[in-house]
Amino acid sequence: MPLCLLLTLPAHAATRPQYGGTLRVETRLNAQTPDPPPLLGPAFQITRWEAGKLAVYEANEDAPGGRPFLNTVEIQLNRSLRDQANDLELGKADLVELGPNEVRRQAAGRRIWSSNPVRVLALVFSPRVDDPRVREALALAVDRAAIHRVLLQRQGEVSGALLPQWLSGYAFLFPAVMDLGRARQLSPGARPFTLAAADPASRPIAERIAVDARSAGLAISVTSQADTADVKLVELRIGTSDPARALAQLGAALGAAVPARIDTPEQAYAAERALLDGFRVIPLAHLPDVYGVSPRVQGGPGIEPAGEWHFETLWLESARP
Amino acid sequence: MSFRARLVLIFTVAIVAAVGVVDLLVLGSTRQAFERTEAQRAEALVAQFRKEFDRRRGELVRTVNAIAAADATRNIAIQPDYSPYFDYAAPQAATHDLQMLELVSPDGAIVSSAEWPARFGYKEDWLLSGENWAARGAFLRREELPDGMTLALTAVGTATVGDRKLYVVGGRELDRDFLSTIVMPGGMRVLLYRNLDGRFAPGELIGAAGPAGDAAQLRPLIDQVLNEKREHARILGSGSEAENFHAVPLPGLDGSVLGVLLIASSRRELAGLENSLLTTGLIVAAAGILLGIALSWWASARVIRPVRRLADSAGRVAAGDWNTTVEISSADEIGQLAGAFNRMTGELSAQRERLIQAERVAAWRELARRLAHELKNPLFPLQITVENMVRARESYPDQFDEVFREGTATLLAELAQLKQIIGRFSDFARMPAPEIQRVDLNALITETARLFTPQLEQARVRLATRLDPTAPAIPADPEQITRVLRNLMLNAVDAMPEGGTLTVSTTAQPGGVLLEISDTGQGLTPEECERLFTPYYTTKSHGTGLGLAIVQSVVSDHGGRISVQSEKGKGATFRIELVANRTQA
Repeated sequence: MPLCLLLTLPAHAATRPQYGGTLRVETRLNAQTPDPPPLLGPAFQITRWEAGKLAVYEANEDAPGGRPFLNTVEIQLNRSLRDQANDLELGKADLVELGPNEVRRQAAGRRIWSSNPVRVLALVFSPRVDDPRVREALALAVDRAAIHRVLLQRQGEVSGALLPQWLSGYAFLFPAVMDLGRARQLSPGARPFTLAAADPASRPIAERIAVDARSAGLAISVTSQADTADVKLVELRIGTSDPARALAQLGAALGAAVPARIDTPEQAYAAERALLDGFRVIPLAHLPDVYGVSPRVQGGPGIEPAGEWHFETLWLESARP
Repeated sequence: MSFRARLVLIFTVAIVAAVGVVDLLVLGSTRQAFERTEAQRAEALVAQFRKEFDRRRGELVRTVNAIAAADATRNIAIQPDYSPYFDYAAPQAATHDLQMLELVSPDGAIVSSAEWPARFGYKEDWLLSGENWAARGAFLRREELPDGMTLALTAVGTATVGDRKLYVVGGRELDRDFLSTIVMPGGMRVLLYRNLDGRFAPGELIGAAGPAGDAAQLRPLIDQVLNEKREHARILGSGSEAENFHAVPLPGLDGSVLGVLLIASSRRELAGLENSLLTTGLIVAAAGILLGIALSWWASARVIRPVRRLADSAGRVAAGDWNTTVEISSADEIGQLAGAFNRMTGELSAQRERLIQAERVAAWRELARRLAHELKNPLFPLQITVENMVRARESYPDQFDEVFREGTATLLAELAQLKQIIGRFSDFARMPAPEIQRVDLNALITETARLFTPQLEQARVRLATRLDPTAPAIPADPEQITRVLRNLMLNAVDAMPEGGTLTVSTTAQPGGVLLEISDTGQGLTPEECERLFTPYYTTKSHGTGLGLAIVQSVVSDHGGRISVQSEKGKGATFRIELVANRTQA
């Protein structure tokens, strides 16, 4: 069941809404498309678009649900998690994404909004790695629990499935346990290969995977050359609450075929099982979207359980009509 | 080789040997002194390194203990969940200038690692060995890093809060940076071999400037230290590139040798010193040799001078100067030798005088004997003839006239022979000194042969002449040479009573002319050849034995030589060598 988790509520949350002001949002999203992606709902209209850099939205006076309180939403794109955290700390941003470590470092009382686990962290092999034994060895060597406990700071959940448990209901059926003994049995003869993290923030996870692989007898070196890497550590967003559509989206992102019609959980399970057979894709964990919120932001939460932004009910404390 | 040259050589060799021995002794003692100094320097440096190493160990222990005692660390120790602190170590390590820092939970699991952040959760079981880390101090340890093994100086601290405990493991890598902080005197360097996996790896031999290039050369020394676990020293390289290596084992926690420290001391100074000494030695030796040659030349001259005078005197004695004496200038062995020489020549001179007198007496006796013999022969017919004439006057007066006439003829003939005999003796006695002029020997032979033609025809002797037209003119008395030719030709005719061939030839020789007169007569025995030129010796019944003596005398007066070659029944050949230049004689 979708659930939005409100971690902290400030004391002045019950103040009266005010119109006006500009909500400053920062995100890692690096949209380089000519046209802006649908970041916000119909309550806001795009007025400025600089691909990969800036998107500015104005309040839609004719919005179906009424005009939002905010006049403007200014979204900075392609900002690193560290920069976002700094900007939040310095008051330069009102709403920023937080990585696991940034969450831990937030000052007491800081509001944090979190979605359900809507991103899947997975290893994706390139076609060059054609030995399924080696791929399975790596799947068995990775200590997902350690990664979840330490590097992800217990955010999200460990998983061996593509779809999170809250979405599919059967994710627990996909094994996610570490088995070094079995991995060592499968690894002899494996050639050294490279592992790239698509997001620099994920590099510590890639480093840990390399350490685990080394324990299993696999020689993996972490590289920043994602294009030529044998394995990539990727983060795939699940953009819908419909398991069938989510599976189709993931299949499309992974370049794998998914049955066109999935009507039952059994069919979804079979389709996902087919995607994961052969260990071309190794799911590691499901992660939520976590945001740090400036104290001047009122209302909300501005994040839907499925991760969509929902700024229509937000207002800024210092704003004037 | 002359005696003087030998003396000079002996003196020179003695000087060279003496200089060489001195040079070697100086070189040897210098090398020993240098070796002692080098050993002391190496020991001092090893002691310095140990002191520096101990200082680093103490510093590391203090640093690790400080981190363990920090409130932040103690706070982590009491946390039920260590996961939020997985990145605690890296900034702490940077702050405290540590290359390695790990926080380890009481069960040995890594909480946070600076050198390998991704290894959280992995076990460091060696920490659970029960060792008293507070007392252990810093130690060497092999550390596994993402890019491979390394050797580190490690210390373990413990953050204890109540019953909670957290290990703090800090370390600094023993690498080129570590070595570069060790201050080395000039001419010395320090190398470190890191024994990371038990097998020799050339790349693990490093110096302050990076990997050392002489790993293969040092391998035997390193292996020896690793095997025997004690210090060794060895000289490697040659010449000015040679180095004295002092190898010190660096043990780890379990006593195994994890590293070998090599302190190298260049022997360039020694090589330079040796070269300098060698050069100096060579210069001194060369000067010594030159001085030795000069001194030995002078000394040998002093020694040789009286010997040479002796030799010259002996030469003069050999040349016939029997009265030669040597000045006695010293009382040493040479002086004694000169005295003995003088006594010897005096004795020889006296003996020669006695011999000459004896020979003179013998010659007079021989002359008297020959005169008696020669005169007795005509005197006997004279006596018979006179007695016949007396007897015919008394007994046969009628035949006296005839007897008188015959007797008178006989007396005259014998008297003529007596006169001839006396004339020959007179000629031998009156042999005049030659009047030298340039003489064409070929012309002289032709002229003489022409005068002998009737006599040769009568004796049925054929004359053959082979005269070398290139024969040079010689300095000679033509009358005396003609006399020689005549004597020899007459002898040849006498030697061929049945006729034969007389051959006269001349041949140009270097420096003179060879004259040969051969006959085909009866020849001579070796004994006759030996005595042929003795005065008054003759093989003929009517000869005086003075002809060939006169010939030898003339040839000798002309500076020439005469010899005879003959065999009985095969004729004889007289060879006369005359010089073209009298100074050659």
